[in-house]
Amino acid sequence: MIEKVSALHFDHHKGLFGDHEGKNNLLKIKEIKDLNIFQVAKFKKSSVDISQIKIDDVSLPLSNPLVSHNSDIRILWTGPDTWTFISENPLKEKITSSFNDIDFGITDLSHSRAAIQIQGDNAIDVLKKGSPVNFNEDQFSVNSSANTTYNGINILIDFISLEPKTLNIYSLRSFGGSFYHSITDSALEYGYEGI
Amino acid sequence: MLEIRCPYCGKRSQNEFSYGGDGNIKRPTLGEEINTKDWDDFVYFRDNPRGKHTELWHHTSGCRQWFKASRDTATHEIFATCKMNEDFNE
Repeated sequence: MIEKVSALHFDHHKGLFGDHEGKNNLLKIKEIKDLNIFQVAKFKKSSVDISQIKIDDVSLPLSNPLVSHNSDIRILWTGPDTWTFISENPLKEKITSSFNDIDFGITDLSHSRAAIQIQGDNAIDVLKKGSPVNFNEDQFSVNSSANTTYNGINILIDFISLEPKTLNIYSLRSFGGSFYHSITDSALEYGYEGI
Repeated sequence: MLEIRCPYCGKRSQNEFSYGGDGNIKRPTLGEEINTKDWDDFVYFRDNPRGKHTELWHHTSGCRQWFKASRDTATHEIFATCKMNEDFNE
């Protein structure tokens, strides 16, 4: 019998870690499971007008570092004419009905990513320890995304909300363990709760 | 550490980029007769100037796009970057 195992099944542990004693509002780190992640890339020869395309009334973001979203779906700009769609609900039907395979390349990445959510006042500080992105508020705010590196591991950061500060971070599944331990090692200084 | 302005993503650290070689090289036109020396020059031989140099860079850990950069090979100062189909606006 085949058992479904999440990307961080053997790495993520629940509990309190690092310098957590006597602190309120600890950082919270959790694995996000069962996400639907699709990459859509427009072919160079395509003449489709991107601004006319909407999914669930959400337009595609047209430049870095924008994220378009509603309560169900987040669309991240990940390169020129390239987007990453992320949702907890099924996406395949929605995407294939909006993007034809003559103009767009569609790739299901759902099982090839490890996803971590980091939440708390020091969430950005943890990311600053390993990533060269400019996290100043005028450069990187809520509903921004960035393809970047964390201690040499390629990651995709999605800034979800400000109160509380919440960021979802995606890495290749095969790098998930290294990435998870990189993040949690950086979080030890502040103390964190694995949930 | 260099700070490089990707034409698509903005300023990022050198960590995210890969150097892609001389940006002045022109590939011989496809379908035309070409002598061995020209082919040899295209494949193997590069200038190694001290000073301003046009280079190719790849935003490997970002948007994964190639772009051109004008860089001083002595001081490492980057004067400008632009998309592959654009010219420098210095």
